[in-house]
Amino acid sequence: MAALSIAVLASGTVQSWAEGTLRIGMTAADIPLTTGQTDQGGEGMRFMGYTVYDSLIEWDLTSADKPSTLIPGLATEWSVDANDKTKWTFKIREGVTFHDGSPFTAHDVVWNLDKLLDSESEQYDPRQSAQGKSRIPAVDTYKAVDDYTLEITTKEPNATLPYQLAWILMSSKANWEAHDKNWEEVAKEPSGTGPWKLTSFVPRERAELVPNTEYWDETRIPKLDKMVLMPLPEPNARTAALLSGQVDWIEAPAPDTIPALTGNGFEIVSNAYPHNWTWHLSRLEGSPWNDIRVRKAANLAIDREGLTELLGGLAVPAQGFLPPSSQWFGNPTFEVKYDPEAAKELLAEAGYGPDKPLKVKALISPSGSGQMLPLPMNEYVQQSLAEVGIDVEFMVVEWNQMINLWRAGAADPSVEGSQSINFTYFIQDPFTGLIRHLSCDLIAPNGTNWGHYCDEEMQDLFKQIKTTFDAEAQDAVLKKTHEKYVNDALFLMVTHDVAPRAMSPKVKGFVQAQNWYQNFSGITIEE
Amino acid sequence: MFTYLVRRLIYVLPVAVGVSVICFLLVHIAPGDPLTAIMPVDATQEEQAAMRSAYGLDKPLPVQYAIWIGKAVSGDLGKSIATGRPVADEVFSAVKNSLLLAFSASVIAFPIGLFLGFLAGYYRDTIFDRLVTSVAITGVSVPNYWLGIVLVIIFSVQLGWLPSMGAGPGGSGSWSWDYAHIRHLILPAVTLAVVPIGIVARTVRALVGDIFSMDFVQALYAKGLTHGDVLFHVIRNAAPTALSVMGLQLGYLLGGSILIETVFNWPGSGFLLSNAIFQRDLPLLQGTILILSLFFVGMNLIVDVAQAAIDPRIKRS
Amino acid sequence: MSAASDTAELAEPVVKTRGYWSGVVRRFSRDPVALTCAVIVLALILAAIFAPYLGLNDPYHASMIKRLKPIGYPGFPLGTDEQGRDMLSRLIYGGRLTLFVGLMPVVFAFFIGSALGLVAGYAGGWINTLIMRTVDVFFAFPSVLLAIAISSALGAGIINSLVSLTIVFIPPIARVAESATAGVRSLDYIDAARASGGGALTIIRVHIIGNVLGPIFVYATSLTSVCMILAAGLSFLGIGVRPPEPEWGLMLNTLRTAIYVNPWVAALPGLMIFITSLCLNLLSDGLRSAMNVKD
Repeated sequence: MAALSIAVLASGTVQSWAEGTLRIGMTAADIPLTTGQTDQGGEGMRFMGYTVYDSLIEWDLTSADKPSTLIPGLATEWSVDANDKTKWTFKIREGVTFHDGSPFTAHDVVWNLDKLLDSESEQYDPRQSAQGKSRIPAVDTYKAVDDYTLEITTKEPNATLPYQLAWILMSSKANWEAHDKNWEEVAKEPSGTGPWKLTSFVPRERAELVPNTEYWDETRIPKLDKMVLMPLPEPNARTAALLSGQVDWIEAPAPDTIPALTGNGFEIVSNAYPHNWTWHLSRLEGSPWNDIRVRKAANLAIDREGLTELLGGLAVPAQGFLPPSSQWFGNPTFEVKYDPEAAKELLAEAGYGPDKPLKVKALISPSGSGQMLPLPMNEYVQQSLAEVGIDVEFMVVEWNQMINLWRAGAADPSVEGSQSINFTYFIQDPFTGLIRHLSCDLIAPNGTNWGHYCDEEMQDLFKQIKTTFDAEAQDAVLKKTHEKYVNDALFLMVTHDVAPRAMSPKVKGFVQAQNWYQNFSGITIEE
Repeated sequence: MFTYLVRRLIYVLPVAVGVSVICFLLVHIAPGDPLTAIMPVDATQEEQAAMRSAYGLDKPLPVQYAIWIGKAVSGDLGKSIATGRPVADEVFSAVKNSLLLAFSASVIAFPIGLFLGFLAGYYRDTIFDRLVTSVAITGVSVPNYWLGIVLVIIFSVQLGWLPSMGAGPGGSGSWSWDYAHIRHLILPAVTLAVVPIGIVARTVRALVGDIFSMDFVQALYAKGLTHGDVLFHVIRNAAPTALSVMGLQLGYLLGGSILIETVFNWPGSGFLLSNAIFQRDLPLLQGTILILSLFFVGMNLIVDVAQAAIDPRIKRS
Repeated sequence: MSAASDTAELAEPVVKTRGYWSGVVRRFSRDPVALTCAVIVLALILAAIFAPYLGLNDPYHASMIKRLKPIGYPGFPLGTDEQGRDMLSRLIYGGRLTLFVGLMPVVFAFFIGSALGLVAGYAGGWINTLIMRTVDVFFAFPSVLLAIAISSALGAGIINSLVSLTIVFIPPIARVAESATAGVRSLDYIDAARASGGGALTIIRVHIIGNVLGPIFVYATSLTSVCMILAAGLSFLGIGVRPPEPEWGLMLNTLRTAIYVNPWVAALPGLMIFITSLCLNLLSDGLRSAMNVKD
């Protein structure tokens, strides 16, 4: 009955739309920043970044079966100087034009880097800088050798530069000049080189994108007539909008609504991607997590299969810090699995037992982007740990406050002695995936090493990652690093999100890459 | 009348200033860093400090207030931290949508409330009166955010008759009075109308009942006036109070629709406000609260003046 | 939500005698609707207070296997919530915070607002101006907006909700108290008392409080239902009581995604708010007519 009337309703609503219009309900509360460097986190890059813009080096989003790797974007090739490992040369793709018709050259890259890094430059935009500057810490100087050759020097040899540059999106200088050099005006009519052009947007309500038929990569010229983005932060409103035919696709449907969605003929698409849900442990003096036996015991105490059930099957149980499908997973010897007996033994060895339970304090937030279902999941973890003899006391704070506490680090008085923080991570590249969490020079509040971990061997591995310029050799070091992450049980590794999205059966041709970003070019709408 | 108007206007000024101070203070005593929402989570401390001074948040509060109010008077409410767009633009486009919703709810609520209230007052202490009283008290007692959810369950989820969110298939930017858009308006407007139906019905019932029990009505009959004429007198006497209650209700609908707008994703001022709250977007937050409360102050003023104008009995000096 | 607006036009003071109060009790006890409501409200309060002794399931005990079971599921008469916790138990325990945060602000506001209004009305002059103009400024905000603004400024939490709602309800009560006091003050018998050498405090205590508190009290009771709805509304928005405490508004919020699985369980917390607020309104009406206070 419900299905029938919804179908009738949907057909009634759709008439007013041109064929081949895809309407997407995003989880963001607003249309992401349109001027180039986007806000709203991974979702902003997904919908307003790699759609309207390109970066020098991009992620390969064509395959659902393997983790995505870097591919040439606006740069066709790049290399580091054999003698001076801080000097990089980039060949810029020829024949690329911005949506406004102006050509893209190496000078535009310099102009865009100044936009983010040089606060004295005319085009400096604090809003974009706030989003982009911290993504390219390695960049020192840069210059255009000629129209199609770019040179970048790094502060010290750093082989992760290509990953960093994959963040940086190129906006049009000509368009900025045409809009009186005013970024707010540019926001209404932005111009990039990407496969989609933004044609209109109503703040907080919708943005409309149409194909860029002149796109330099013919395989990525969109097939749709139009793509409409709507911010729908409330999960219920998203589900209701999909059910009543107001949108064709929603990001992150709430697990509880999935039976209702599949029951009405909607499809749930998901895939592993570089995201994890862990407890980042404090390694300050006095923290019980300094004992490797305790860390291993906690990791063995959690029944991840049961947790996956709670999440409606939409999760990948953790076997390490990176998802099992990651190219850098390696072969860790410590097996992350459910073995409560072994956990109890380890705890007993460490001196804890029924008469002397281990008490820990854990920082959690009831909501937050990428946090999945933090409250029920943390309660599940709490229950699991209690069964092997670890008593967890929660400190619950709002998400915004949580971000501040995460920045402040485990030693800050504001965390009130909490010994772990449940903060989910974007772990797509070597820096965000591994280095930033445990590097000695990034100890909070100067960086994002919340737990104040500092280990010589690990530090050496991080250095090797940065100085190994051969991609294969670098992957090998990355694997070794991740093996150490797991073998030392440096985090309480729980689960990975699978980026579920629900869509109408009319949506065809979508391949969900194992990435935070997605390719919308191959999609069609079948009427 | 003129002196009353002037006095009333002069009285509004300090209230408006007080309102602006409270808006400002409320927003600024709040804990949490307003810039958290727009910085990448791993921004460095220097980047944060630079951002803070770029938004003027490093200045002392009285200075920040003076700057803010000085600009506000000339219509510049600053820029939203989260979006960088002018707050005034954001608030006015949202208020427009809220007004649309509030007026629609009034169009539903006021005639029904007046009608029910009048009949109940006229047929006081009958079964009909009891029925209306029950309806009215149900109306004022129902938590409307819950009613909104229940209506969504019935009419959107179970029956699939009406959309559950948004202001039309193309967003509010393309609002028009056609079927596709009005469908979006029905559920939120009905939900919002329930409380004012109850309040108007209760007020009018008491008003009409009291007037009928007054001596002058008997005197009118004694003077040989027809039933119709007497009714006319009663209505004339009830009108000023009824009007003022409805005027105030309109103001409440505008300021009080926050919960309903959240339930229905209606892109109005309440929705804007709740977004601003969760993003800790200070300029947007204080701008929205200021405009909404000033609108309410203005509504009160209009109601008072209108009441004084149509009610010859009130001699305010 | 808007009863704060219809500031009661107060009647002439009623001169109270012992006969008056017995009359009030007599009239009230003959009002079946008000009596029923009094019993329901009392039952809700008692159930909330004595919840631990009612043999209920643990309201915090979650079970992932037993999530969102329907009404009538064995062992869970009203089903379970999104974390598999017993709804019946949570609804009864939820009454504790909901009623506390829903009623106490009116009690606080009754004392503070009456005091402010009494002082302003009795003293007159610049004291009156100072107090009442400040009250006017707060009164200039729609109550829902003010409550949300203060709560979002203070952050979520029980104490913060109490504070913000108390601030919301002080202005209307102070206004009623001030106009009632000013009305009584100008009456002859106060002048007579003053002439016979009564001090200000005595006059306030004996005459003014005796004659104005009744109407203020009745007016305050009419605010309880609005306060309940508003308090739960704050939690519903996520700026009131924090999880995992059971509270009806918060339960309504966290159960929202469950409307696709088990709509009627999801609607239960709202139904509780509705029933309670309805009873509070009817009770207030009953009191009003029993005490002969005019609308």
